[in-house]
Amino acid sequence: MEEQPILELRDVVKDFGGVRAVDQCSLRVMPGAVAGLIGPNGAGKTTLFNLVSGAMPPTSGEILFRGRRIDGMRMHQTFELGLVRTFQIPREMKRMTVLENLMLVPAPQLGERPWTSWLIPWMVDRQERRIESQALEVLEFVSLSHLADEYAGNLSGGQKKLLEFARTLMAQPRMVLLDEPGAGVNRTLLRELSAGILRASVERGITFVIIEHDMRLVMALCDPIIVMANGAVIAEGPPSNVQQDPRVLEAYLGSSFSGAA
Amino acid sequence: MDAIGIVNYLVGFAIMAAIYAVFALGLNVHWGFTGLFNIGIAGFFALGAYTSALMTTKPPDPALFEDFVFGGNWSETHFLDLGIDLWFFLGLAAAAAVCGIIALIIGYVTLRLRDDYLAIATLGIAETVRLFFLNEKWAANGSKGLYRIPAFLEGWVSPEHYDYLYLVVVLVVLSALFLAVERAVKSPWGRVLRAIREDEVAAEASGKNVFRFKLQAFIFGAVIMGVGGALFAHNIRFLSPLTFDPLLATFVIWAMLMVGGSGNNRGAILGAFVVWGIWTGTQFLPGIFSDPNFRFFMIGVLIVAVILLRPGGILGEERRITRAADS
Repeated sequence: MEEQPILELRDVVKDFGGVRAVDQCSLRVMPGAVAGLIGPNGAGKTTLFNLVSGAMPPTSGEILFRGRRIDGMRMHQTFELGLVRTFQIPREMKRMTVLENLMLVPAPQLGERPWTSWLIPWMVDRQERRIESQALEVLEFVSLSHLADEYAGNLSGGQKKLLEFARTLMAQPRMVLLDEPGAGVNRTLLRELSAGILRASVERGITFVIIEHDMRLVMALCDPIIVMANGAVIAEGPPSNVQQDPRVLEAYLGSSFSGAA
Repeated sequence: MDAIGIVNYLVGFAIMAAIYAVFALGLNVHWGFTGLFNIGIAGFFALGAYTSALMTTKPPDPALFEDFVFGGNWSETHFLDLGIDLWFFLGLAAAAAVCGIIALIIGYVTLRLRDDYLAIATLGIAETVRLFFLNEKWAANGSKGLYRIPAFLEGWVSPEHYDYLYLVVVLVVLSALFLAVERAVKSPWGRVLRAIREDEVAAEASGKNVFRFKLQAFIFGAVIMGVGGALFAHNIRFLSPLTFDPLLATFVIWAMLMVGGSGNNRGAILGAFVVWGIWTGTQFLPGIFSDPNFRFFMIGVLIVAVILLRPGGILGEERRITRAADS
């Protein structure tokens, strides 16, 4: 029996006024994959993330996560199903410490009900200790331990990217959508980041879909690679195939190039 | 003024400042922790005050031609004889409940929308409440006002010392609310609220049902404001719609929170005493300086000075360094 895809899109369309950002997009991601999503600027990659994560509803089409319709769900609902995303421009809680940014994430937390802090504070404290040590471990994992008590707003651009990645790990997700995790992260940290992604994939069985413009990172890390242009998937497959696909070259470099080649 | 007179003045001042501190705490839950832009505090102030007053005041004597029909008369009703005035607490609870229900309704309608809509809705409800009590004379005697509102534990001390007793009552309620708010905002619940204040989208992406938390915070803050309104009603013991003009019932409270330190509960209380001190203290200045317009101008100057010199307010928000795992 063929394995079921963890994520499946069927003819997904998203219009913004008269602009069609995502056009009849269909794709499947298998469990455990580290898929790369590439394409020229304006191809609709981030919009696709917004649709899948529930930041906005699609105009039409179906999105299935583990066989279940998720189009039209809100972000916190897809989160509860185990689908977590990051943002291209990091969205950290600026006036909260790095540690707090992470301790926020695990769900469900007993202490998130307002009455628990009045009636059963000791139980909340116990859970807090557990969540805090989990957060410290994740900070260790992304090499941000020394900044645990710093306001997240004071981090550098690259550190904020790592914090975004750390946030997804706190969620204990089944699937993570990373929007340009490498942008602004220096080479050394970038290597650690890709190692971290691979380890999370192997050890925890997390499925990744990664939007990235750094081709070296994508080609080294991702398989399969999905190529989008003008809102639709134009190619899909292992890195070596995709690199030679004439449609991909055309999308990136223009038709004159592929015509000459 | 002799020494006793000064003490009495200061006690009266402290009662009002502490009541304003209750409102500043409520606004801190809304704005300081959750980022909810409530510019209609006067609405919850008035609802709380009128609810408790109407529930506890005696129904009017027709011979006096008073123009309101409802007095709950709880102050004369013997619910349970515990030797204290139970009606006072029931009035506080009723005020809190009414404000909570109104907040639930407004919040349910507007909190899914952009922030601006909550601001418009709160401003609208404040004016609606004020104009309702001004024009519907049967409700609370219109502009002539509602009087003979009962006082808590009135027989316990002689009238000239009553303010001392009421100051204690107000401080006890303020302390209880302070502890409740402090606990709540330092809990994981409060962490979610602050996350929403910082970035709603990121909070949603962190799996939080932002709408639900905003609604809870809005109701919680409104309930506190309702209690503040009830405390006010039984202190002044006379209510008219003029009491709830936006300047003294909304703007001043915003000034208190900004000056004291948004996001810090001690700051909210400190700000209430500082701003109320300046507001009432300046009335003793000579000539034009004691003019109300000039005094409001001074509060404006104070806000600008604080924002320039200490943008976070006198105390400002504390960075929360949690290290439960080490202890």
